[in-house]
Amino acid sequence: MSSQIVSLVVNGEPREFIAKPGTTLLAVLRDSLGLTAAKRGCAQGSCGTCTVLVDDRPVTACLIAVETVSGASVRTLEGVAAGGDLDEVQSAFVDNFATQCGFCTAGMIMVAEALLDRDPDPSQEDVAEAISGNVCRCTGYQPIMIAILDAARRRRGESPKPVPASEETVSREEKVSR
Amino acid sequence: MMIQAVHVPESAEAVAVHSARGGQIMGGGTVVMPLVTGGAAPGGELISLRRAGLSGIEVRDGQARIGAAAPLSSVEEHPGLGFLRPAMRSIASPTIRNLATVGGNLFVEQPYGDLAVCLLALGAVCEIAGPGGRREAPVADVLASGVDHGEFVTAVVTALPEPGTWYYHKAMRRRLNSASIVTVASVTRTEDGVVTSTVIALGGVAPRPVRAVSAERLLLGRPLSPEVLTEAGEAARSDAAPFDDAYASAWYRARVLPVHLRRAFTG
Repeated sequence: MSSQIVSLVVNGEPREFIAKPGTTLLAVLRDSLGLTAAKRGCAQGSCGTCTVLVDDRPVTACLIAVETVSGASVRTLEGVAAGGDLDEVQSAFVDNFATQCGFCTAGMIMVAEALLDRDPDPSQEDVAEAISGNVCRCTGYQPIMIAILDAARRRRGESPKPVPASEETVSREEKVSR
Repeated sequence: MMIQAVHVPESAEAVAVHSARGGQIMGGGTVVMPLVTGGAAPGGELISLRRAGLSGIEVRDGQARIGAAAPLSSVEEHPGLGFLRPAMRSIASPTIRNLATVGGNLFVEQPYGDLAVCLLALGAVCEIAGPGGRREAPVADVLASGVDHGEFVTAVVTALPEPGTWYYHKAMRRRLNSASIVTVASVTRTEDGVVTSTVIALGGVAPRPVRAVSAERLLLGRPLSPEVLTEAGEAARSDAAPFDDAYASAWYRARVLPVHLRRAFTG
């Protein structure tokens, strides 16, 4: 069978594209639609850098043959900042130093978006489980978990207050200024 | 092999047509798609079960019928399948559980397939469709010898365990998202402090999920005490055929099997 036209609703907009058989959703997002926030990491579902939401559920886009989700609603990091403003999760990541090289960040944020959509008040355990499919090799998981818990507080309308957790995390700024 | 087509049939009958022609069945794609992306696809045509109407879960009258294409996350979230929730949460990550399917779990290589271990302990039955029509087969048979050419599993059916009879424990390198070193699932009934019936299934310790029949024999008529359980766990080594992999050595798996069999019952 030759290539076929597939349609998706991506970040609220209907999109059509031509895909060869077995093309992954990740390849379509990056190569056909120019949405490069979702990263190509391991290409086997182990690292989570390609995580996007399909029908509101976080999934690894590298494991999805795009024909199998035709017509689905897909949300990527590009669809998170409404009108160009960072949302609560994104600003919490910035304020809590939860991104360093940035390669895992898009996946981490999409997982956090899905978690907070379902559970506005997750425990630290819930956050750890939610991001357990997302590998970070430089920032460290602690700042990321702190940022997601902080984002939850911001979404609930509480003041953005970074959790004073481990010494290391709290003193990072101080170390820099020393 | 290059993929020539990905079929997304909208009924089990349509799946059967493509399957009879030699297409490769794909559940959530968590196993098949890495092969496709790596240029090692298991055939030129893939048949996705995603839209085939095989994702439903029905729980009634003490019995569960779980569609083969149901994602693991829907088992995890189903209010009638609460006893399986710890097992589901021990499998991969939530992101992967949103894709990986119940049927697919029967066909993954060890040390994956913890749900298959549970279904073996439960004595579940597979509903199978294929060119010769429909048939049923015990999960044990499907785990041992797969299905015939052109056949595919459409659902698994199991009785729900009576309260207090279900046991599950999985030893992993990490608390979350890690493959099995030893998985133990069991339906065990006791009366007056002694075991009256028991089925124990093991994962992580053989090329496929296996029954720990030696342990089962030893437990009958005896109490679930740490001593008896350790003895049963040692006996279970003769039911296992452990392997080396990146998670643990065969030696280690055999060494800790009795510990984890005991912990499945004593916590």
